[in-house]
Amino acid sequence: MSSIPAISVVDVHKSFGPLAVLKGVSFDVPRGSVVSMIGASGSGKSTLLRCINHLETPSAGEIYIDGEPMHFRVAGDGQRKPRPIAEINRLRRDLGMVFQQFNLWPHMTVLGNVVEAPRRVRGLKRSEAGELALECLRRVHLLDKAGEYPARLSGGQQQRVAIARALAMQPKAMLFDEATSSLDPELTDEVLAVMRDLARDGTTMIVVTHEMRFAREVSDRVLFLHNGLIEEAGAPEEVFGAPKSERCRQFLSKYLPKYVQ
Amino acid sequence: MGNWERLVWNQRHLLLDGLVVTVEICLIAFAAAILGGLVLCLVRLYVRPLRQVAIALIEFFRATPIFVQLLWVNYVWPELFGWPGSFFTAGWVALALQSSGYLAETFRAGIEAVPRGQREAGLSAGMSHPLVFRRIVLPQVLLMVAPSLVNQFTVIVKSSTLVSVITVQDLMFQSQKIVNTWLDPIEILTATAAIYILVVFAVSALGKALADLLRRRYGLAAS
Amino acid sequence: MSAALAEALNPAVFWEYRAILLKGLAFNFYVFACAAAAALILGLGAALLRVNRWRALRWAGTLHVEIFRNAPDYVMVVWIHFVLPLLLGLAIGRRLEFPPFLSAVIALGLVYSGYFAETFRAGIQSIPLGQIEAGRACGMPERLILWRVILPQVVRRMLPEAVNQFVSLFKATTIVSLIAVPDLMYQVSMVTQQEMRPLPLYTGAALTYFAIVFLAASLVRAAAERWRQKVYA
Repeated sequence: MSSIPAISVVDVHKSFGPLAVLKGVSFDVPRGSVVSMIGASGSGKSTLLRCINHLETPSAGEIYIDGEPMHFRVAGDGQRKPRPIAEINRLRRDLGMVFQQFNLWPHMTVLGNVVEAPRRVRGLKRSEAGELALECLRRVHLLDKAGEYPARLSGGQQQRVAIARALAMQPKAMLFDEATSSLDPELTDEVLAVMRDLARDGTTMIVVTHEMRFAREVSDRVLFLHNGLIEEAGAPEEVFGAPKSERCRQFLSKYLPKYVQ
Repeated sequence: MGNWERLVWNQRHLLLDGLVVTVEICLIAFAAAILGGLVLCLVRLYVRPLRQVAIALIEFFRATPIFVQLLWVNYVWPELFGWPGSFFTAGWVALALQSSGYLAETFRAGIEAVPRGQREAGLSAGMSHPLVFRRIVLPQVLLMVAPSLVNQFTVIVKSSTLVSVITVQDLMFQSQKIVNTWLDPIEILTATAAIYILVVFAVSALGKALADLLRRRYGLAAS
Repeated sequence: MSAALAEALNPAVFWEYRAILLKGLAFNFYVFACAAAAALILGLGAALLRVNRWRALRWAGTLHVEIFRNAPDYVMVVWIHFVLPLLLGLAIGRRLEFPPFLSAVIALGLVYSGYFAETFRAGIQSIPLGQIEAGRACGMPERLILWRVILPQVVRRMLPEAVNQFVSLFKATTIVSLIAVPDLMYQVSMVTQQEMRPLPLYTGAALTYFAIVFLAASLVRAAAERWRQKVYA
């Protein structure tokens, strides 16, 4: 059982009209591991992340969550049928998503944002959901802001609330879509620290990021995407220390001059 | 189809006469409303001693239903002021009253949106206050309020149906006359409703196109 | 002139008939409340059609909005009262008549649903897509996202414009007297025919409506603004 990866991406393609953004991407995310995806903007890494939890529907290929296909199911006659939206919603609960723009709901308090999905989607009682939400807020060090509205928080605090909101669904894996890219430099550290804690606690994570140091320190595996394909993959020491691909080397030299001879 | 021909097509002269009256009363009311709105707004902004009077009038015109104003002007004004002397006049006066209240507020918002520095630049170039208003403020205000003017005109057209109640022979009046003559309302009232909807739709579509054109021509962002 | 003015502002007749006039005013409020409820429900429905992903439904929503937003109140009231029952009657093969109150509510509800639909639509389209995606990512079904994420914000955003539309709707309820709903204007014209004193009666009606609309609109606007600011301060 433990040999089944938490997330398995198999030959995923995605096109927007004539524009092919993903051209066949496959990789596994073992349970409890952290996979980072790096690459230039337009390389397809955010689209890939959005395909994984079906915010975009892949044009071809499949994603398996704990061995269960996300987009199709095999019917009795062996035919693959697209899942109805309600079923996709159920599978999506197992994937927490953190967005670049936080996307908090401005008319709810911090606690309201975190409580919402556990109560209304998973049907927890008010007291249970509240306790769970407070626990999640504690993990991102924002217990004292539970009664505030999002507009009164800094960007870093808002992003930590968004992380707590995703955690509150007790997902099997967390997806981070450039979670620090819209933050001022002095606010990124508090968010990265929370993500580090999650990784240390054994959370399965896929992280799209431009923070190379973070990717190097925290990841078990790093994927470099280029033009909709995985150009290079390996342990962080390999990818950052001795990149085999010329494109990967060029990309890294822009971010980490000191890693290139 | 026989009914459509008998009750609508064969009555087209009556309907057309009514439509002409509707157009007349709306245009007169619109012109009067613009004038009245401008006066109310200028008094409110620049004539200190009369400011409260202007505010009271604006609020009264805006907050009173058009139908009530219409009957009030029609029945009460002739005794109070000896005017208006005809139903037609009472009709456009009432329509203009309501709209002048709204337009006064629209103009005020427009005037206050013109940056103060532009006025000061005009004054420091030696232009008089009225000249600054006419040459610098007013043109910009008119561009800014163009969409609201069009919208207010559609309100006037819609409200104008009520003047038939005081026997002004507009389209609604003629249509009801046909109903009362032939006692068969389906086709004629449906046709009348369609005519009004199309007229109002056309006015607001044309007006929007015109307003956008003006704004683009003078380099203001379209709304 | 001064004699006429004194007569116009003489509240004696108005006071004498206060019971019947007040009953009339109550009808303005009944019509307003029912038509407002109908307009909100129909308007929300039309707005949801207009942001729907199927083109045919979007078209239906647009048609609804353009017809009713551009129709004069009075024409709609007359059409609904005198034509719609006949058409329905032809369809079911039976003579049909609407009570005036019902016609008034249907007509005003339809007309104002056109205005409310546009306000709702603008509000819905102002919600950032990311907030909706955040809901989807949490596994929320679309209906839950609509009720919990979109509509609460739409209501707050559309409030100032909705207040204006409620004011217009209340003012429009005065025309229902024309199809013999016994509202204040209807009673005023009845009393006028009896007393032959239009000056104080019509002036009193105008002042009454003015006072109600002005006070209610000011109060509601102030309350709405305070409520909005509590969240978006």
